[in-house]
Amino acid sequence: MPEPHTPIDDVITVQRGPEPGGLGGAYRAFGATLRGLRTTLGRVAEKPPTYQYPEEKTPVYPRFRGRHKLQRFEDTGLEKCVGCSLCVAACPAECIRVVAAENTPDNQVSAGERYAAVYEINMTRCIFCGYCEVACPFDAITMGNDYEMADYHRSDLIFTKEMLLADAIEKTPLRREGE
Amino acid sequence: MARPQIKEISFEIDGREVRAPEGTMLVDAAKSGDVEIPYFCYEPKLGQPVGACRMCLVEIEGMPKLQTSCSTPVKDGMVINTTSDRVKSAQNAIVEFLLINHPLDCPVCDKGGECPLQDISYGWGGGKSRFIEPKRHFRKPLELSPLVAIDRERCILCYRCVRFSQEVAEDYQLVFLERGDHTYVGTHDGRPYVGPFSGNILDLCPVGALTSTAYRFRARPWDVEEAGSLCTLCPSQCNVQLTIRDDSKVLRAFARDNPEVDDGWLCDKGRFGYQAIHSEERLRAPMVRDGSMLREAPWDHALEQAAAALTRAGAGTAALAGGATTNEEAFLLGHLMREALGSPHLDARAGGALDPQQARVLARPDLSARVSDIDHADVILVVDTELVEEAPILDLRVRKAARRNNAKVVTLTGRPSSLDPNATAAVRFAPGAAEAALSALAAELGSGRATGSRLHSRAGCEPGAIGAAAEVLRAAGDVVVLWGERISDGARGASAVDALLAVAGALGIVDRPESGLIEVPAATNARGMREAGVAPGLAPGLTDAPEAGMPAAEIAGALGAGELSALILLHEDPLATHPERRRWQTALDTAATVIAFTDFVTTALRDYATVIFPAESYAEKEGTLTHPDGRLQRVRQAIGHQGQVRPEWSVLAELAGRCGARPDVRSAPQVTQKLFATVGFLDGLTLDEIGGKGVRWQDRDAASNLPRAELPEGTLEVPPELPEGMRLGTVPSLWAGTTVEHAPSLRFLAPVQRAELAPADAHRLGVGSGDEVEVAAGGQRLRATVALRQAMQPGSVFLVSGTADNNATALTNGVPRTVEITKTAGAVNGAGPPAAAPAAPGPGAQPPPV
Ligand code: SF4
Ligand code: SF4
Ligand code: FES
Repeated sequence: MPEPHTPIDDVITVQRGPEPGGLGGAYRAFGATLRGLRTTLGRVAEKPPTYQYPEEKTPVYPRFRGRHKLQRFEDTGLEKCVGCSLCVAACPAECIRVVAAENTPDNQVSAGERYAAVYEINMTRCIFCGYCEVACPFDAITMGNDYEMADYHRSDLIFTKEMLLADAIEKTPLRREGE
Repeated sequence: MARPQIKEISFEIDGREVRAPEGTMLVDAAKSGDVEIPYFCYEPKLGQPVGACRMCLVEIEGMPKLQTSCSTPVKDGMVINTTSDRVKSAQNAIVEFLLINHPLDCPVCDKGGECPLQDISYGWGGGKSRFIEPKRHFRKPLELSPLVAIDRERCILCYRCVRFSQEVAEDYQLVFLERGDHTYVGTHDGRPYVGPFSGNILDLCPVGALTSTAYRFRARPWDVEEAGSLCTLCPSQCNVQLTIRDDSKVLRAFARDNPEVDDGWLCDKGRFGYQAIHSEERLRAPMVRDGSMLREAPWDHALEQAAAALTRAGAGTAALAGGATTNEEAFLLGHLMREALGSPHLDARAGGALDPQQARVLARPDLSARVSDIDHADVILVVDTELVEEAPILDLRVRKAARRNNAKVVTLTGRPSSLDPNATAAVRFAPGAAEAALSALAAELGSGRATGSRLHSRAGCEPGAIGAAAEVLRAAGDVVVLWGERISDGARGASAVDALLAVAGALGIVDRPESGLIEVPAATNARGMREAGVAPGLAPGLTDAPEAGMPAAEIAGALGAGELSALILLHEDPLATHPERRRWQTALDTAATVIAFTDFVTTALRDYATVIFPAESYAEKEGTLTHPDGRLQRVRQAIGHQGQVRPEWSVLAELAGRCGARPDVRSAPQVTQKLFATVGFLDGLTLDEIGGKGVRWQDRDAASNLPRAELPEGTLEVPPELPEGMRLGTVPSLWAGTTVEHAPSLRFLAPVQRAELAPADAHRLGVGSGDEVEVAAGGQRLRATVALRQAMQPGSVFLVSGTADNNATALTNGVPRTVEITKTAGAVNGAGPPAAAPAAPGPGAQPPPV
C-alpha cells in the first residue's frame, strides 16, 4: 500500500529577493551587474572563442555520430556490406534502402554471396542515432565524424552507395582530450 | 466414402484442460490450448509424420521417455507437459545439435527474417554451442534446378523436400544420398530436379537450404508487403500470396493455403509466372494501327478509333474472350456487345459453344462436385483431360486421394494419362472418340439411354477395357468425374456431353451429395465467363439469350465471308488457341477491325490488330473469377498499374459508353454488384461474403434461382465410326503461351512441337524417337519431333497445342481427323525447331517412364 497523500509536503517555499527600494533595491540593481562584470573583465585577455566557420571547422568528439561511411576490406578492397538489410530493419527513421544482388565470379563486389546493389541513406530523414552501425553484423556501415551535408536540393541528400563508400571531401577535426 | 466424422476429446496440457478433435497429432492439438510446440519436419500436407528432426519432444505422463508430439495422436485424458526442465533441456540440445553443421550465415541467407530455424533457435535454443570442430562443407550455392538453388550446408535433413517429391508430386526425383552426417539432398544422378511442382519445396524448406533463383536476394521480409490474390494462369485458380516491393513490383508468389481449392500447393507456372508482369516486352500503352505499323497512341485517340470502328460495324461485330477474363469484364463485354452494338456473337470456348440447356444441366448443384470431394471420393473418373497440363493442382489432388484415402482412379482418355500408374482401370480411346467411349461406358453401367452396337470399336477401345472400368465404377459409392472441355468440341460436342450426362445418370450422381462432375476447361475462367453471359446462346445467369449468336467456329467463317466485319479479342489470340488456324488467319485478314486487349503483342495481333489496349496483369486487377467447381474468388489488386495500363473494366465501360450505351458503373466493386444483381443464382452475394477463401454459389440459397434443367432422358445418338488412318489428338501444354515465354525463369520449359506415337506405329512409319517428322492434314503441315510412348493407342498421334512454332491448331478442325506422317529429310529451313532441339524437360515433354 502506498502512503496516503499528504498535501502539506507539496508546498514549496519560494525564496524571494529583497523588496525594491532602499538599500536592498540598490543591491539588486548593481550587485548582480558587478558580479557579471567580474566574469567579463576576468576573460578580457583571452582570445575570442568563436570558430570562423566555414574557414575553420568546429572539431567534434571522437564518438560524434555524423555522416555514415560504408567500409571496404583493406586487403582485398571488397565491400564489407553484404546487403543483408539488417540496418534497414534497425533504422527507426526508415531512411535506409538496400537492394541486394548476387555476386558473380566476374563481378565480385563483396566477400559473401550477396552484395548491396543499391544502398541509399536519406539524410533528410536520418536522425543519426547509430542503430545501423550497431545492427550491422559486418561493421560495414559506420557513423563518421563529418557533419557538413547541407545542400540545395532534398534529392541530393539521398546518399548513394558511391557517396557513402567515398571519404568526405574534407576531414572534420577532432577535439583533443579535455578540450 | 463419406467424410469422416471426428469426435472431440479432452486432454491436459501444461496444467490446462483442452479439447481437440480425436486423433490429431499433439503439435496441432496443443494449439487449441494456445501452447506452441516447436517443430521442423512435421507437415500434415506431406502425409504421415516421419519424426526426423526431434524438435517437437514433449513429456507425456505415463511414458518414460520424451515423445515426438508430431507423431503422437492425442488421446482422451492424456497429460502433457511442454515446459518441464526435461523438455527444455531436450529442446536446447536439439537446437544445439541441429546447428552443429549449420553455417549460421544468416546475413547472406535468403531465409533470414522468415526462417523457422532462426525463430526456433531464438525461442527454444540454449544460445550457446560447445561444438568447436570444423563444420561439414559443400560447394554452394548449386543449382538443384534452374528454378531452385540448394545450399547443402544449411540443410537440417528434415525430409520435407524429399517427402514432397516422393509422396505429393510423386515424381520420385529428390532423395537423400549418402548416410549419417554425410547425408545430403539430391537427385539420383545429379540431374536437375525439374517437375511441374518443384517450386513447392521452396515453401516447405524450414531453413535457407532451398532458395528460389528468381527471388534470391531480392528483398527481406521487412522490405516487402504481402498481398493475397489468385493465380489466373490456369483453371485451378490457386490462391496465392504475392510479395510486393515498393508498391510496384511483384517479387515472388507463394501459396495461400485454401483446402477447398489448392491444398496449399502451387505449380511452377503460378509460382514463377509473375515475372511476365514486369517483362520489358509487356504492352503498357495502347497501340493504334497506322498503315502497316502499330504505333503507341494516347488513350483518348485509341478509344476514339476503337469506338468509331465498332459503331461502324455495329451488329457485324463478334467477340472472343479467353484466358483470365474476370466475371466483371465478361459481363461488361456482354453489355458492350448486346446493348451497345446489338450483336449476339460472343464466345469464350475455342472448340465450340456448349448447348444452353446442357450448360444449365451441368451447372446444377446436385451434379457438381467441389474440389474437396475428390479427397473423399471412392472413385475418381478422369475423362479426356491431362490434369497435369490443364489444371495441375487437381492432378495433385487426385494423387492425394489415391495415396492417402485409397480412392480408385479410372482414366478414360485418348492420350496415356500421367495418372495411369495410379489408376485401377485405364481406358484408352481413339483421339476425338470421347462420345463413343462415354456411350459405351453408359451402356456398360446399364444406362437405358445408350444405343448402337459395337460402341467400343467406334471408340477405338480394347474390347473389355470399358467393361473393366464400369466394374470399378459400379462398385463405387461416391464418384467424382473430372471431364475435359475438349469432349464437347466440334460438331458432335452436344452428343458427347449427352453421353457424359448419361454416365452421370447411370452413376446416380444427383442422389449422392458428395458425387459430382467438375469440368476442366481450357480457359481459366471459362465457367465464370459462361455464367456472366459470354456464350452465343446464353445471357448472364445461364438464361437463354434473346437472340442466339454464332459460336467461335462460325464467327471465323462469317468474318472470312465478310458477313461480320469487326472482332473484339479479350485476352484471346485465336491463332494460338482456336482450331483451324488457317480459317482464322483468313478471318483476321478479312476483318475490317480487330480490337484486342492483351498484355503481349503476339504475331497474330501485330499483323492484324487495328487497336490494341494493354491488358492488366492479375496483380493489377480487381474482380472475381469462378472456379470450375463454382467457387467465386476475388482477384485483388496488389501493385499499381504499370505504365499507362488502365483497369480493363473501365475501358470496356468507356467503349460501351462511346458506342451509345454507357453502363452505370464507376468503380470495380460496382460492376461486381451489378453482375451479382443480374445473375439470378448470385443474387445477394457480396465481395465481403466471398472474402479471402471464396464462396461456392451452389452452397447459397440463391442457387435455387438457377433456371430449371432436367437431366436428359432420350436415347443417345449413335456415335459415328472412326476414320481410318493415323488419328490426330492434341494436348495442351501448361508451359505454352506468352506468360512462360516472358518469364525468364520459366522460358526453358517452353514446349517445342512433338509427335507422340505408339512404338508400333513409329516402326511402321520407319521413324524413331527424336526423329523429325512432318505431320500433314488438309493441305496444312507442320514439323514435330517424334516421342515414343509405350502406352499410346496404336493409330493415334498426339501433338501439343499452343506451341509458339508449329502449333497443332494448324491441323485441327474440331472433328476427329487423320493425318499423314512422313519423315523429313535433311536440315530444317528455319520454319521449325532445329532437328536436334532438346525436348523441353517436364512431364509435358518427357513421357514418364512406362
Ligand atoms: S550495412 Fe551491414 S546491416 Fe546494412 S545491409 Fe550491409 S551488411 Fe547488412
Ligand atoms: S533441403 Fe530443406 S526441406 Fe530439404 S531436407 Fe534439407 S532442410 Fe529439409
Ligand atoms: S516435428 Fe516432430 S520430429 Fe520433426
